[in-house]
Amino acid sequence: MYLLPTFRILVLLLVALPLVSAAVVPLFGRAARRAALLLALLHAGVTAAVVAGALPALNQRGENVPPGRDFAFQKFTPEFVPGDPGVSDASTSTHRTRWTLLNLGDAPPDRAGPRIQFYIGVDGLNVWLVALCSLMVIPAILVSWEAVADRPGAFYGWLFVLQAGAIGAFLSFDVILFYAFFELTLIPSFFLIGRWGEGPHRRDAARTFFLYTLGGSLLTLVGVVGVVLTNPLPDGRFTFELPELMAAVQRNLGGAFAEFLRTGDGGPLAEKQNLQFWLFLCLIAGFMVKAPVWPFHTWLPAAYREAPIGVTLLLSALLAKLGTFGLLRFVLPLTPDAAVAYGLPVVGVLAGIGIVYGALCAYAARDIKMMVAYSSLSHLGFLVLGILAFNREGLSGATLHMVNHGVSTGALFALLAFLLDRYRTTDMRQYGGLTGRFPRFAFLAFVLCFASIGLPGLNNFVSEMLMMAGLFDARNPGVGGFGYAVVAAVGIFLSAWYVLTMLRRVFFGPVVEPPPAVAGPVHDVNPREVVALGGPVAVCLLLGLVPQVLLNPMKADVAALAEVGDAARDRVAGTAPKFEDGLPAGTITPARKNP
Amino acid sequence: MNPLSDPAVQQTLTGVFRLALPEIVLLGTACLAFLVGPFANRRWLWFAAALAGVAGAMVVAGVMKAEPPAVPTVAPLIPDAAAAFVRWLALISAAVFLFVSWPEAGRGHAAEYYGCLLVAAAGVSLTGRANDLITLFLALELLSIPTYILLYLPAQDRPNQEAAVKYFLLSVLSSALLLFGFSYLYGLTGTTNITAIVDTLTRANAAELSPMALLAAVLVVAAAGFRVTAVPFHFYAPDVYEGGPAGVVAQIAFLPKVAGLVALARVLGLLAADPRHQPFPVDTHLPLLLWVVAVLTMSVGNVLALLQDNLRRMLAYSGVAHGGYLLIGLVVATSLPDNPGRPAVGGMDAVFVYLAAYGAMTVGAFAVVLYLSTPDRPIDGIDDLAGLGESHPVTAGCMTVFLLSLIGIPLTAGFVGKLLLFVGAFTAPADTLSMGHLYQVLAVIAAVNSAVGAYYYLRVIGVMYLRSPVRPPADSRSLPTKLAVLALAGFTLVFGIYPDPLVKAGRRAAPVAATQTADG
Repeated sequence: MYLLPTFRILVLLLVALPLVSAAVVPLFGRAARRAALLLALLHAGVTAAVVAGALPALNQRGENVPPGRDFAFQKFTPEFVPGDPGVSDASTSTHRTRWTLLNLGDAPPDRAGPRIQFYIGVDGLNVWLVALCSLMVIPAILVSWEAVADRPGAFYGWLFVLQAGAIGAFLSFDVILFYAFFELTLIPSFFLIGRWGEGPHRRDAARTFFLYTLGGSLLTLVGVVGVVLTNPLPDGRFTFELPELMAAVQRNLGGAFAEFLRTGDGGPLAEKQNLQFWLFLCLIAGFMVKAPVWPFHTWLPAAYREAPIGVTLLLSALLAKLGTFGLLRFVLPLTPDAAVAYGLPVVGVLAGIGIVYGALCAYAARDIKMMVAYSSLSHLGFLVLGILAFNREGLSGATLHMVNHGVSTGALFALLAFLLDRYRTTDMRQYGGLTGRFPRFAFLAFVLCFASIGLPGLNNFVSEMLMMAGLFDARNPGVGGFGYAVVAAVGIFLSAWYVLTMLRRVFFGPVVEPPPAVAGPVHDVNPREVVALGGPVAVCLLLGLVPQVLLNPMKADVAALAEVGDAARDRVAGTAPKFEDGLPAGTITPARKNP
Repeated sequence: MNPLSDPAVQQTLTGVFRLALPEIVLLGTACLAFLVGPFANRRWLWFAAALAGVAGAMVVAGVMKAEPPAVPTVAPLIPDAAAAFVRWLALISAAVFLFVSWPEAGRGHAAEYYGCLLVAAAGVSLTGRANDLITLFLALELLSIPTYILLYLPAQDRPNQEAAVKYFLLSVLSSALLLFGFSYLYGLTGTTNITAIVDTLTRANAAELSPMALLAAVLVVAAAGFRVTAVPFHFYAPDVYEGGPAGVVAQIAFLPKVAGLVALARVLGLLAADPRHQPFPVDTHLPLLLWVVAVLTMSVGNVLALLQDNLRRMLAYSGVAHGGYLLIGLVVATSLPDNPGRPAVGGMDAVFVYLAAYGAMTVGAFAVVLYLSTPDRPIDGIDDLAGLGESHPVTAGCMTVFLLSLIGIPLTAGFVGKLLLFVGAFTAPADTLSMGHLYQVLAVIAAVNSAVGAYYYLRVIGVMYLRSPVRPPADSRSLPTKLAVLALAGFTLVFGIYPDPLVKAGRRAAPVAATQTADG
């Protein structure tokens, strides 16, 4: 049975292959774009193999979600971890790794200890995001095909570094390793925006993007270190392994709460929750900038406007998801009490403002690129709300929406590449009646725009419905009625308004077109663009029709997070937990009924 | 029995020379250079001789098994793990400086240049093992005096001379402060041996704090602050860095920082055999003073670096800021007595790792400046690097590595150092009366400062890659400098990606690590 070791190698390849590609592609000189496309397709193949291998295991886990609450269950469980000590016995898996990068103390290798490891793996939360990273690079390469003539080798090389950083961050289960990959995305973004950017302010945009993200993420680093050092394991050691750390956080908080229920002394719990507040602030800083959440979005318009279209595509499809994924992976499990107490009431309000603000800016935008950029801000606000709802519906909806939004927004930017290649502008005032001029392009554009609005039958509808359902959770403190759900609904309505307005202006009415930038007649979509745009269109349709395929594998991990959220709600409210299976209140760890 | 005729004491005193053999090799080579240099002042000859001297010192240091002195309270030198780490740091950096300063060492003073370099390295190495106030002072002077000469050697124009004079005057002032502080320590304890002083003061301060001892400590902090370029003793740095020759400035940016930090740690008892034996624990408020100095240093350094258009002045203020980060480690180390046996980072180990990382990136940055500078086309302003990414791709790549490491981006050694400092700050106890949560606040301040610092480093990267070359720098022929640049960039990257060996070395050097392994 060599299947497990093979998949471990494949998971390692998910990160390693883009790095190798980045080193190799510049050697091809003028043929770099072909080489890049081939390597991206190869990566997609590897991803497909990993997904195919992971699905049975993840689906299996989803069926075994135990009822009741069990601290041992409230943690992530990565599959296919490269360097798993169980590798000698090829059929078992310990879900841990031996590959240590930095040892800060002496701990037996089979136990968690203060060491930073190369700890990556697949679970229900990241498997689809990795697939997204793998797939969206293909349209990014295709739309840059003609547009990037200046040193294409270096350009595609940096694209692959960006991909490696994003995939590595999604796969990481070591908190410091996550940070390393998270920062690794900054360097390629800086060069891609600053070197190949289109506008006159590209250098400022690149610098602003880098500095904003770095500033936020340094605070996140402090927060992560703080969480690690304030949540020792039962044997007094520290750990940087996310699953163990997450379990330690729940154990420490749960222990203090049990103490409170038993003795009535709320001091230790209040102290821990107070500490959580500060750690929450630090942790969320980097992710709020990265996502971005209003008012930390000010880097976004410049970066999206100045970046070349292929890079904008990746920024919106992949990098923005790093911020929301960080909320999911770090903020919620590591500071659950603060996330319940201050998540929706404080950050949620900012996200709500962002939804409306982004939508209004999108309506006011005269440049289609800026309209899509602001609509992305608006949608991400909704996504943040869905995550902070901290229940099964919200979390699974948000995880799904990260993928859906990545595909549809990325594809919308790819649409603009069609116009940019032909006319060098995306100013909507210079266009009109394109339906008659480019019927096939118009069809693709309509599908993607409707997907973005959330038309039933297309992908965003499913995830937005789920997130909306998650927002109707009256257990969250500080949520006055259904205010957030109303704001989110208004956001969806506004998105229909500005997208349809754009469609009316650009695609209907008399034909208006700016002077073409290329010699000769201007043609409708060519085969390359059919692939670049048609692929995401097909994915949008597919995900809208059979979303359950995506939802099943994430069930177990979402359930684990939701359990964490439920426990945190009890602690914040100060009420003894009630268990559905009728166990007496006051016992914090009921035995698992059917493991 | 007469205590002076105790065989253990005699053995300790006579064994001193064995403990300083590598330094003696360095000094011997330097003396040879000074004596023979006037007759045969060829650059390649003295480069080879100095390299042989450093190699010889390394061999001696590697082969000699140093035994701890029998009576530490009379031993002038102490060969502990920290001393070994500092020695290797000094020897390796001496070798690197030999390569880096190749273009500067010509013009008929190669022998003197390399000789001074070796003496300075010996001074740093001796600082690491000095266990006596007199030895410590002499070791520090052994570092300072050759630096004056190095600054004067190529001083042909006014900025050069101004830099040399400024450094000389302020260095002498700091030496005076140091001596003044030492005199108090001697007056209070009646001995010049640091182990004895630390023991006596620890016992005495446990009962009641002696204000004289505190005054002495403040004077020592001030004197060390000059070498670490801590605010408010940093004023000389920008002028000296701007006016001095780049190779010498690279040394000034690194060697005195090592010496100052190690000397301070020795006198404050942070490197003593038992780090919990501290004459100035947190309730003496000396750690609070260090805390304030650290915060001021990193904040002032970063803010002033933001305003610089001159590359060397920017690197000077960046050096000030990094001095502040390094002081975090000292602040954390002072907290250890209240925090025994917690398995994480202790402070001094973070300082050692950060020193190695800082050395690689700062010396590397100056080496790039030196490599690109020619007499008719000096690299002064940041704009002089415009388009370097196209004209000198390899050099620009190395410079980018150094700058990213200075920012503290992961996969570089600078990140590892910063991470350890952060972890150390969070390991410190949060419940001491006089410090409270200040350690954690320090980590947050350092994080904000790193973000601010990123601005000016990133600006240089932007100028190198995102601007087109106006007047590309001439192609320097200095192959040794280029080798040094490549080696330093390699060091930064390798220990950024796989930091375990470096961190292990740092942990072994710090006394904290020893107590930890004992605890399990």
